Amino acid sequence: MTESPPKVLVVDDAATVRLYHSKLLGDAGFHVAEAANGLEAVEAALTTAFDLFLVDINMPRMNGYTCVETLRSETVGTPAPVVMISTEDRPGDADRAYAAGANLYLVKPVAADRLVRVCRMLTAGRGDAA
Amino acid sequence: MNALLAQFLAEAADLLAQVDEGLLQLEREPGDPALVNEVFRVAHTFKGSSGLFAFPELTRLTHAAEDLLDAVRGGGLSLDSGMTDDLLASFDLIRGWLAHVTTHERLPSSAAGDAARLITKLRAPLGGEKAQDEAAAVVHVARRVVPAWLDHFDQRWLTEASTWLRTTSSRMRFLRYTPDQGCFFRAEDPLHLVSEIPAVDRVDVVTPDSWPPEFDAYACLIGFVVATRAGVGEIDYLFRYVGDQIEVVELDGEAIRRHLTGEPPTATPHDPELVADAQAVLAGALRCLTLGDTISGTRLSATAHAVGAAARALGEPVDAAEADPPELREIVTRLLGDAAPTEAEVPPRPAIEMPADKPDRAHADDPGGQVGTKILKVDQEKVDHLMELVGELNVAKNGLPFLADAAEEEFGSRVLSRRIRDQHAGLHRIAEDLQAAVMDVRMLPLSVAFNRFPRLVRDLGRRLGKSVELTVHGEDTMADKDVIEALGDPLVHLVRNSLDHGVETPAERLASGKPPTARITLAAVADGDAVTVEIGDDGRGVDPDRVKRKAYQKGLISEDELETLGEADAVDLVFRPGFSTAEQVSDLSGRGVGMDAVRAGVAKLGGTVTMKSEPGRGTSTTLRLPLSMAVTQVMVVSVAGQRFGVPVDLVQENIRVPAAEMSRMLHSEVVVLRGEVVPVIDLARVLEMPWTPDPDSDRAILVVSLGDRRAGLLVERFHREVDVLLKPMEGLLAYAGEFAGTALLGDGLVLLVLNVKEVLGLADRVS
Repeated sequence: MTESPPKVLVVDDAATVRLYHSKLLGDAGFHVAEAANGLEAVEAALTTAFDLFLVDINMPRMNGYTCVETLRSETVGTPAPVVMISTEDRPGDADRAYAAGANLYLVKPVAADRLVRVCRMLTAGRGDAA
Repeated sequence: MNALLAQFLAEAADLLAQVDEGLLQLEREPGDPALVNEVFRVAHTFKGSSGLFAFPELTRLTHAAEDLLDAVRGGGLSLDSGMTDDLLASFDLIRGWLAHVTTHERLPSSAAGDAARLITKLRAPLGGEKAQDEAAAVVHVARRVVPAWLDHFDQRWLTEASTWLRTTSSRMRFLRYTPDQGCFFRAEDPLHLVSEIPAVDRVDVVTPDSWPPEFDAYACLIGFVVATRAGVGEIDYLFRYVGDQIEVVELDGEAIRRHLTGEPPTATPHDPELVADAQAVLAGALRCLTLGDTISGTRLSATAHAVGAAARALGEPVDAAEADPPELREIVTRLLGDAAPTEAEVPPRPAIEMPADKPDRAHADDPGGQVGTKILKVDQEKVDHLMELVGELNVAKNGLPFLADAAEEEFGSRVLSRRIRDQHAGLHRIAEDLQAAVMDVRMLPLSVAFNRFPRLVRDLGRRLGKSVELTVHGEDTMADKDVIEALGDPLVHLVRNSLDHGVETPAERLASGKPPTARITLAAVADGDAVTVEIGDDGRGVDPDRVKRKAYQKGLISEDELETLGEADAVDLVFRPGFSTAEQVSDLSGRGVGMDAVRAGVAKLGGTVTMKSEPGRGTSTTLRLPLSMAVTQVMVVSVAGQRFGVPVDLVQENIRVPAAEMSRMLHSEVVVLRGEVVPVIDLARVLEMPWTPDPDSDRAILVVSLGDRRAGLLVERFHREVDVLLKPMEGLLAYAGEFAGTALLGDGLVLLVLNVKEVLGLADRVS
């Protein structure tokens, strides 16, 4: 197995948040790609096998829940871990995130070291479940 | 400035513009759920990004605005214009702050006070201030003092809630309500109050330790404990009359867990934070496995995958890949049970520093490619520079035909001449494509020029006490960025004029049988190489007689004209320099410039302005501008041996007419062109150049059309069409209105490009 860095897709409509996450994870040794909404994320997932998804909830065109549901659907069918990052911790958000197929639900702003730690943990054994 | 902040500022500008537009649209279509949602979403995105920086006031103010929008979104509140004012003011304040941040990288010192003032206003419709809660929310300080009454909750539920809150790193408000025994006599209804608490997760009844021996139906002996996600403001508002009877605490899962276990837990040998995260993943998996339907397929393998990862992190690798849901649940339960709960608390930080600037590995060799927005934001100067280079390339290219002529005439080589022409043809094609491509880059939608108007119309309308609705059409029409930039001022002037002079007050409108709300329309249409922008209103219109009288008083027209000028020409008088003066200009539309400035500004862009008006029905002003102004195609003609350029878009055709077919009509020469009489203007005479056409040879006539008017320009010779970079006339020549500008030709000569409109006007005066 080649030791290529894990590929992460950062999905967020806020360009600033995308930049922040990309830079953070890029510096931590991940390959980072970005998508500005759920639809772009699904498109990207169809062409690239990502090892991890960081998905915002509130986005135009396709929100985070639908995005994760689609990633988990037969159309895309990616078993890669999904971390949903919500700006607002609203009642029921976490439930919906897990119901959609997310593996972890976090609330912004996520401390830099925690985000990197979580991403490393979730990508440590890539390919196991594939 | 670090890259993240720069990105935020750029993004913020876009988001703020969207919020403004959305709010104004909302005011027109109140309660449109899609619109409310959109505005909320944009505000939300903005807040999300702002949370990355240490601008607490910014986050708090956005949060307050977002809460207000959220209440509107939830249908609990309808947005009135006062709220819209407050929201707009908040975003204006933020815009100002960001300008300050751009230069100083911090908020102005007045930020805290300004923010507090607006937050109070924004919170007012929601039932008052909750600044303290706000501060707590921003720094995410979880209360750790756990009141004993927490035990009144169902213990199983409390255990679950604790796990759950830890999983999501979230908090919940716990409320104890102990109604006064005699509350029924004060018309209080405790049960009703409790049922009114929003976002309740759990209610348990607190019964007294011992019941009195005698039942008293009028004494309230029970109390309630409630777990809710409602905001402190909401709770306080609800219980405002019995504030002394409630206790509210906000707790996180960890505090509850510690309360439940009753002792400080032991630390694990692992990185406690990692353990906490792994447990969060496991708890999530458990949640997922117990949520409704059985999971299978990708969902199952994804969960197994995550459980595997968490197990590894806990130092207890498991083989979960093939597990079915019950097995997986068992594994997760075991892992969660085994792993001693930790003291670890993972406090999210309010502000995060940008990671150090290392080489950007993230994108350098990204196999997935940049999936995000495929839009490249480029400094506008770079595009301008590119455009200049294209212009120079065009000029250099235009030199080749001259070289070809020289090859033939001076060196007698036809072959070489032909080859140069072939080269020119190829180069010309590429240069044209290149130019089109660069032009396309410079194209912007007219919405860029239009989007300030909803706000302007609203604010001015309110100031003037006029009710106005602005309708915008064709904002997707594209035009060159220079055109759009230059369009700004004339448009503002025209719209202000409409508001100030055109539109009547609601009372006047009702009196004349019109709906009280006036309508101003901004409409853009692409029209070949030009774009037409129409500013229309249904106001009182322009009174041609008043205009004529005024023009006469100011000495702009003669007594004859006062009698003979038609209505359309009379309306056109408003464009005459000196027509509008301070006395009739109000503080709004008048800034010392009148309609003549509008016309001059538009003419500078190579465009035209016309005004049509129906007294009592409204006025409509039409601006016609070239889609692009960087490169102009001109037809070169010569008169008296001197070359002049005429913009190609005005040229209809070049004709040669035998001298005998020229005729005269009312003292002027005309030519009959396919049955239509076209007046012929002797360009040499108009420009005062010594030249008389050879009486025997054919006349070369360039037929131009300008608006409704057609005319033939009598010239000496036609030359080729060239693409030129038009430079405006400068210095002493700036006042030579008959020239639109100068351009450098390929052979180094300077070409004067005619301003056809002025030339026609000049011709009228000469004759």
